[in-house]
Amino acid sequence: MGGGMLFRTIAISLAALTLALPILGGPLAGSGIGISPYLANIIGQIATFALLAIALDLIWGFAGVLSLGHGLFFAMGGYLIAMHMLKEGYVNAGVVPDLMTFMGWTELPGHWAFFESFPYTAALILILPGMLAFAYGWMSFRSRVSGVYFAIITQALTYVAMLLMFRNDTGFGGNNGMTGFVSLLGLQMGAPQTAVLLATASTGAALAAFLLCGQLVRSPFGRMLVAVRDDEARLRFLGYDTVWPKLAAWTLSGVIAAIAGALYVPQVGIINPRLLSPEVSIEIAVWVALGGRGTLSGAVIGAVVISALKFWLTGFAPDLWPFILSILVIVVVVGLPNGLSDLRLPGLRRMRDGR
Amino acid sequence: MTKGLTRRGLLRTAGASLLGVGAASFPMPGLIRSARAADTVKLGCLFSSSGAMANVEGRLTSVVRMAAEELNAGGGVMGSMIEVVGTDPASDWPLYAQLGRQLIEQDQVAALFGCWTSVSRKSVLPVVEQSDALLYYPLHFEGEENSKNVVYLNSPPSSSVLPAVEYLMGPDGGEAKRFFMLGSDYVWPRTINQQLKGYWASKGIPETDWREEYVPVGHSNFQTLINQIREFADQPGGQPVVILTVVGNSIPDFFREFANQGISALDVPVLGLDALEADFEGLDTAALAGHLNCWAYLQSAAGPGNDKFKAAWAKHVADTGVPYRGDVAIDPMVSVYDGVHLWALAAEKAGSFAVPEVRAASPSVSFACPSGYEVSMMADSTYVKRGVFIGSLNETQGFDTLWQSEGTPDPVAFSPYMQG
Amino acid sequence: MLLIRLLTFLACLGASPAFAERAALSAALCAPSVAAKAEALRALAEAGALGGAAEAAWAQTLVVAVEARSFRCATGGAFIGEGDAALDAATLAPSPAPIDAAEMPINNRIRAAAASAAAALTLFTDVDPAARVEATTTLERRREALSLSILDAALAVETDASVLALLKPLRARMMLVDLAPENRIRAIEAIAADATLRNRTMISEALATEPDATVQAAGAAAMERIDRLIVIGKGLSTLYSGLSYASVLLLAALGLAIIFGLMGVINLAQGEFIMIGAYAAWFVQNAVRAVMPGLIDWYLIIALPMSFLAAALVGVVMEALVLRRLYDRPLMTLLATWAVSLLLINLVRVTIGTQNLEFHQPFYVVGGIHVVGDFIVTLNRLFAIAIAGLAFVGVVLVLRYTTFGLNMRAVAQNRAMAGAAGIDARRTDRMAIALGSGLAGLAGVALAPLYNVNPNMGTGFIVDSFMVVVLGGVGSLLGAVIASFGIGQINVIIEPLYGAVAAKVVVLLLVIAFIQRRPEGLFAPKGRR
Repeated sequence: MGGGMLFRTIAISLAALTLALPILGGPLAGSGIGISPYLANIIGQIATFALLAIALDLIWGFAGVLSLGHGLFFAMGGYLIAMHMLKEGYVNAGVVPDLMTFMGWTELPGHWAFFESFPYTAALILILPGMLAFAYGWMSFRSRVSGVYFAIITQALTYVAMLLMFRNDTGFGGNNGMTGFVSLLGLQMGAPQTAVLLATASTGAALAAFLLCGQLVRSPFGRMLVAVRDDEARLRFLGYDTVWPKLAAWTLSGVIAAIAGALYVPQVGIINPRLLSPEVSIEIAVWVALGGRGTLSGAVIGAVVISALKFWLTGFAPDLWPFILSILVIVVVVGLPNGLSDLRLPGLRRMRDGR
Repeated sequence: MTKGLTRRGLLRTAGASLLGVGAASFPMPGLIRSARAADTVKLGCLFSSSGAMANVEGRLTSVVRMAAEELNAGGGVMGSMIEVVGTDPASDWPLYAQLGRQLIEQDQVAALFGCWTSVSRKSVLPVVEQSDALLYYPLHFEGEENSKNVVYLNSPPSSSVLPAVEYLMGPDGGEAKRFFMLGSDYVWPRTINQQLKGYWASKGIPETDWREEYVPVGHSNFQTLINQIREFADQPGGQPVVILTVVGNSIPDFFREFANQGISALDVPVLGLDALEADFEGLDTAALAGHLNCWAYLQSAAGPGNDKFKAAWAKHVADTGVPYRGDVAIDPMVSVYDGVHLWALAAEKAGSFAVPEVRAASPSVSFACPSGYEVSMMADSTYVKRGVFIGSLNETQGFDTLWQSEGTPDPVAFSPYMQG
Repeated sequence: MLLIRLLTFLACLGASPAFAERAALSAALCAPSVAAKAEALRALAEAGALGGAAEAAWAQTLVVAVEARSFRCATGGAFIGEGDAALDAATLAPSPAPIDAAEMPINNRIRAAAASAAAALTLFTDVDPAARVEATTTLERRREALSLSILDAALAVETDASVLALLKPLRARMMLVDLAPENRIRAIEAIAADATLRNRTMISEALATEPDATVQAAGAAAMERIDRLIVIGKGLSTLYSGLSYASVLLLAALGLAIIFGLMGVINLAQGEFIMIGAYAAWFVQNAVRAVMPGLIDWYLIIALPMSFLAAALVGVVMEALVLRRLYDRPLMTLLATWAVSLLLINLVRVTIGTQNLEFHQPFYVVGGIHVVGDFIVTLNRLFAIAIAGLAFVGVVLVLRYTTFGLNMRAVAQNRAMAGAAGIDARRTDRMAIALGSGLAGLAGVALAPLYNVNPNMGTGFIVDSFMVVVLGGVGSLLGAVIASFGIGQINVIIEPLYGAVAAKVVVLLLVIAFIQRRPEGLFAPKGRR
């Protein structure tokens, strides 16, 4: 739930963007209102961040479960699509991945099998993060691990994953990560149309997730989630099983984050274990907190505003960015309990601040 | 939600969408900026001034600025003044690619100077190859690459690692027979160690005479590893040597622990392949004298060219107030300095700033490097020939020149010793 | 007549064999190859040892000149020093050096030979027994210029008991290649008295070419003894490494445990308080160096209260500005404290810079004590262990015996009842944050001799400290101690087998698995929150 006006604004903006991008970036690219591939690329990246923020907001804003390790799912999606692109380039175009060269391997390790197939990769992107989220969520929610404990442990999990992925002998490119992608689904990396199409796909995905989650949180299931967030003990006392709603939301959240990652990596052209660092995961929470958790619009706004600000500033005043970010977070967290949505136009309904 | 679409609502949302698109256009003030003003030519820098590599990488942008000022004082390049566009990729590898793209497409720089770690170079590589731009890369690295869009200003292992290892295995260096390879876990150390293993195999050194260990980048607790080194060193079989390929902050951490456990360079010398004078800024090196490094330039290199460079750098630091030591000059600084001058000379020779012309003119120009050698690009690759120095750490955090090459050996891009 | 005798006498002096030898010895140092130079240094040491006090003094002057890099070689001879101030190496008389006099290059082989020669000559030239003791210890490791004749000459003139106590075993050890088997056996025993892997290797290498069976047997027995002690040493070494890692974890986590136990606030800026403590120590070092340079070795001790206060101050400020409004929103405090940590890191970065700070290493944190086998107790880690111990004892005392401690325990057990009993819970919270932050400041001082001090140094401790606190149980100090010891020890045991990364990963996964089974940690908090 959220301000109806705001929700519609964002939905329509996303839709407009999805429709406009192929045109402004395609036939109209060179003209005055055209969008350069560089700009399209930025828009696409921000759209994947918005998708990621929606994923986190679903379980934090609505189910009250804070995850400081969502980067793990994001990175999983990214790594899976990267493996597909590298394997596909290797098998079809004969481009040998770097990690084989400097590790001295003559062929890729076993877990790389079948990755040249896009359907296989797409299925894995949906299944693997979901399975991991389900497994971890089931163990934790059943043991009633929650709140701060849960958050810290998600941090630790992504940190562990980062350490593992930094090792070169695990066969995922180690510290170098994976780069040198050739093509994706026939689109050549680096070609201008590719940037535009990927950006369109990202905004489209963000729109789809926005609408889907919007429906979800307005449904009885969504109301159950909010109840879990507000007072889980009471809900249990009333006879409801609180584990399954949380688990369902948590798993869905993980899958959405993975899809975001799979859209992000082709647009930046590289994936690296740095994406698994605790700081990245905390930044996702910062987007949601700043934009206003508890409203999907808030999550999107937070992600868009902060990432745009970051891209803008790191271009010409890189020293300033950490200060602006930290002061912004402190001011908003301390002064505005619901994030920037507290500043929204009056007359919009706000969610009561539960925690 | 139930109201449906009203004109007011439509206008509002349209406005919001435009605002969104407009906001997204902020990252590029360059759209408004013209591609190149009449009398300036732009050079872009991709060196981190924050994050893990900040301490050593940050100063390289200042050196590029210094070189640009020198050229501008002499009338610029073909009458155009050089403008240096600096960025901070914050030791974040994808950001290097992002900013590289921005510098090429938005700022329309004539050449890029950037990257330290091989990871960062590999992330920028697709960007420069897609736009046919030039990246001048000032660090010694693992080779196994020869892109026409990267000018490799510094040595591959054939002219950095191998001369030092051969020295150590020779009579003057102590006749090393056993080797402990300790590196940070990424492409440069892994490739170097692969080549070394191949080299030793070619010399008949058995596998039992070497050990290979990796630590994560940024690792700082070397207590257990140095215990293992001590154990390896004390076993029979001949003079042991440590080949150290850790980078960044791990270097001072390693040497501090090494000294604390009482191991002397006279018993177990360490060849710190990435060790620079700057890495010992916080350490007391009296107990560490004798460890070695290998670069294409040492601060102690003799000659008027080096004196002039060091004086210019000290003056630049004093004038601009950048937070680096004006009395420390490291190889990458000199390499990027060479790079700016080589680029300028090639552009003058070619009469154009276009990348294909500059690249074609490069082999026929040469520059007097502060190290005392005359450097120039190879005819059949984009590698630059440099001299080789082997340095020995002294009590005052500097490296004395232990040995230097006669001339500039031809760099070998693809090592014959790569295994597999 | 007298004049002719005088002149002849002088001529003989000038042409004396001693002088000719000196000229030859100093010229030999100018030989082109490194091996010849090392040999020349050895010859110099021997000449000085056997030639009497004056000869020894002269030889030492030359060796010291080689080490100090002031030795010069020219076609006309060898010199010490440059230009007009130079001395002729053979006569030590002033003699301007020609312009083409080249500096003698020094590499490790020459350094080693020079160090050995200098130590050998010290035995004959230095009147201070302590200096001769140190020289003998150096000769144990650096034998490049040592020979039996030198040792015998030293033993002949040495009178001090402490020096003789070291010289005699050294001589015994040198007899490993003696012709008489009994001497070889004695040498093996003398070497085995110091049970290190290095000595074991020495014995095993000698046994490889040993013809005599009794010597072989003695050698094998000696090696077995050494092996046992080495194993013990290894075990102790692992224990010590674990203890030192644990003490680092404890210092980092103690403050966190207190704050979390009392208020449920997780302070993501704890690592930065450690950093502030380390930077405060650096400021103290600079101040001491400027004001009381004689006390420079004690700056770490002086820094302890300073760092505590500095970090506590920043903690109190953070509490007042940020945490005060977030007491009922623990998840938000995570984000807020993270932002504070980012701010602190960048403030330090732009004001002081990203470079690693230089710390003077006082004598009590340099080097180590050799205990048994190859186990060395490195003093810097001992310092950290000591600080951790003191900090823990201090906190326990505060909690047990002060009013403040009583208040803290009461508020931790039941906030509402404590308030009803008249305890100002908010004020207690503030004091607790000051205490917790101050402890992190202490950690900074303890870690300064161990790790690099730069703005990012704190980020490596966050995840580990959390694991300690969460594993140990909310608010339990004993839990924190046991958790840090467990984590530290397991880490150190796995590391040599599978590497540092595997160790960390395994430990973290174990902790996470443990928490799933027992979410309240090792020591569950008593009472209701």
